[in-house]
Amino acid sequence: MASVIGDRIPSRAKLAARDARRKLNSRLFEVWLWSMGVLITLAILAVIVTIVIKGLPAMNWEFLSTGPKEGMKEGGIWPMLRGSILLMIGTLLIVLPVGVFGGVFLAEYAGTSRLVTLVRACVVALAGTPSVIYGLFGLAVFVLLITKHTSLIAGCLTLAMFALPVIVLTTESAIKAVPESFVEAGVSLGMSKWQVIRKVILPAALPGIVTGLVLSTGRAAGEAPPILFTAGIYYSTAKLTFDLEMFKKPVANLPYHLAEGYRQGSVIPEKIIWGTCLTLMLLVLLINLAAIIVRARARKRQVW
Amino acid sequence: MKRLKLRDLPAVALVYLSGALVVLVIVAIFYYLAHEARYAFDRPFPYGYRFSLQSPILEPDPYTGQVLDDLTVDPNATLLAANFEGDDGIDEKEEGAPMATLEELEGYHPFGTGSAVIDSLDDLNPQELFRDNWKQAKDATKGDRFILFAFATQEYTQPTMKLAFQPDAAFSPKDCPFDIKLRVIRTPNGIEVEPVEIDLIQNPSGKIELPTWIAKSDEERTNGYVFEMVVTPKKSNFTATIAGFFKTDWAPTLQYPRYGFVPLLLSTMLMALLALAIAVPIGLACSTYLAEIAPARIREWLKPIIEMLASIPTVVLGYFGLMIVAPSVVKVFSQAIGMTSGRSFLTASLVLAFLLLPTVISIGEDALRAVPSSFRDGASALGFTAKETIKKVVLPAARAGVVATVLLGFARAIGETMIIWILSGGTAVMPSIDPVKTLAGPTRGMTDTIAIEMGNVEFEGPHYGHLFMIGLTLFLITLAINLIGYAYGRKRKWLAS
Repeated sequence: MASVIGDRIPSRAKLAARDARRKLNSRLFEVWLWSMGVLITLAILAVIVTIVIKGLPAMNWEFLSTGPKEGMKEGGIWPMLRGSILLMIGTLLIVLPVGVFGGVFLAEYAGTSRLVTLVRACVVALAGTPSVIYGLFGLAVFVLLITKHTSLIAGCLTLAMFALPVIVLTTESAIKAVPESFVEAGVSLGMSKWQVIRKVILPAALPGIVTGLVLSTGRAAGEAPPILFTAGIYYSTAKLTFDLEMFKKPVANLPYHLAEGYRQGSVIPEKIIWGTCLTLMLLVLLINLAAIIVRARARKRQVW
Repeated sequence: MKRLKLRDLPAVALVYLSGALVVLVIVAIFYYLAHEARYAFDRPFPYGYRFSLQSPILEPDPYTGQVLDDLTVDPNATLLAANFEGDDGIDEKEEGAPMATLEELEGYHPFGTGSAVIDSLDDLNPQELFRDNWKQAKDATKGDRFILFAFATQEYTQPTMKLAFQPDAAFSPKDCPFDIKLRVIRTPNGIEVEPVEIDLIQNPSGKIELPTWIAKSDEERTNGYVFEMVVTPKKSNFTATIAGFFKTDWAPTLQYPRYGFVPLLLSTMLMALLALAIAVPIGLACSTYLAEIAPARIREWLKPIIEMLASIPTVVLGYFGLMIVAPSVVKVFSQAIGMTSGRSFLTASLVLAFLLLPTVISIGEDALRAVPSSFRDGASALGFTAKETIKKVVLPAARAGVVATVLLGFARAIGETMIIWILSGGTAVMPSIDPVKTLAGPTRGMTDTIAIEMGNVEFEGPHYGHLFMIGLTLFLITLAINLIGYAYGRKRKWLAS
């Protein structure tokens, strides 16, 4: 009989061996996952470091503060940098009210009916719509229908549309993260719904909202397809001005400069291209960094 | 909670307005893409045939020694054509070359052909004879009729001569929405021939043998053989445009443009699939590490770095691919698969895969984190190891989320423009069955075609309209994928029961 039981139930030694094998197996699996995580991180760092190293030789104050010379063979990129910053500010100003109010609508006023689920799904789908589609839309509506030619304002509007869905979503989730007890406290003081939103929810959700705004505006500023047909100009010797007329004219900017520079062939020397790439990357990264710092500081002060 | 106070009204109205605006945006995008795409349907479908008389015994060219058989380079061949974009047509404004006179042909060529802008032979004006005849652009629902005169000069001695015909340049009769027939409508006095009627769509090129007829004076040039090319519409402009859109040849700048977008669609899809095949396993492994194994401190370091990649502008990544990745890809593969240029399907897919990593990692991590920790507690109570917990409990529970990750990554990949533009090589070709040839060769997707060609296109013309058709298709595809992905992402299997 003992032999029968011995067949059915593995011996203690066998069990221990199997457990050891399972543990080893699991350990190897963990190492594999770890190595993937490390590999990806290192690859990303390598790309960023390469761009920085290749771009640094071109970088100096003159490069950032003067215009191109000798048909772009030499000189700096100030007009494009200025254009990118202008586009970004314009986009932020347009998208700020619509995006934040849209997020408030979704979070507080929309409820949970089927129609609203559809609206939310649409916003999510818009957030995943390719940027070149926004470029086409901007061309058809803001350029050909409204202003009749490419302009800074058309570019800002197009980029604002591109950034809008992401901002609505981040605003919504920032608002949803505000604890229910805050709202209840507001209500118990006899505040109206809008008062609760303005005095309680929005201040509490502000860091999250600002982070979302800044992140997606930064991303929009680096995106080339939306402004390809709506705002870009390649090489202009026209004098730069700061006035209202500026909004009606096309504007040189960094992503367009790189894209159009590629289309036109190897006019711009490699060194300047790397410098332009680095400037554009740093522009977006610094904005993101600012957003991350805002978020981190807000978290430290967070009381809930 | 008090519902609404009067002085809150403007603010609340603004909130509702913003909500409505967001919805409006999606409708507006669809509407305006479709609105501009309609210009594709205004397209005139150009067609053109060349005609020339030849001797039955073709003599070689004295200079090159080649027998001249290509009528498109024959300076005496007559072109009967219509619907060219931008041309007004000989019947409207533009001047055509006059029909060759006997004096001009003397000692040079024994045959002449020509045409006239008339509807009936009775209207013939001897002052208005042209070598070619092209007519102004018309809708594909309208047909046309061309007259063709053919004669030999007194230098010609053979008893018979041949009328040779062939489609002009890159004109492809197969894709043409017209029925085009060639008939003899008059023979010279004293010569009888069997009635000739040739279907120029079925037999686009060929020769008809005829008894020789010689014009003795310039007035007699129109008394010889008279042919007519009758063009009747077969399809409406709409169906012809749609049919042309689903062909496999994208050549929009030719004189006879072709707008078949299938190669662009296939290339985009295949590049996205290859990129996903690389990015999903690596990315999901990374997100599993971040969600299940990594200690909080390491996670705090890794997450921002991965998010940093998401914020590198794609045009910068494209240039990075062009100047760093492409040369190394060529170095590695030039011997193995005969790759000559770094701008290829493979390079574009590799950089695209890299771009997808942050998307895949962050959505995948969210999907895994959504699995309740009670599942993991249960697994560890049963004595599962980390591997068993992940493979047998967490991943199956998060299956819908993983599907969403793949779908949303796919939508991101097919919508990417700059990387494909800079790295794919820019040649619109059908992907080959031979995978090596496809991988090593250049290609072109939908997004970069829009971005490249919209820069030098005539606004509100057919090419412009077709680019918007591609945009509309892309929009609908990504919309569908995103909606399905969103639905999957919201699924919580453990809440169902």
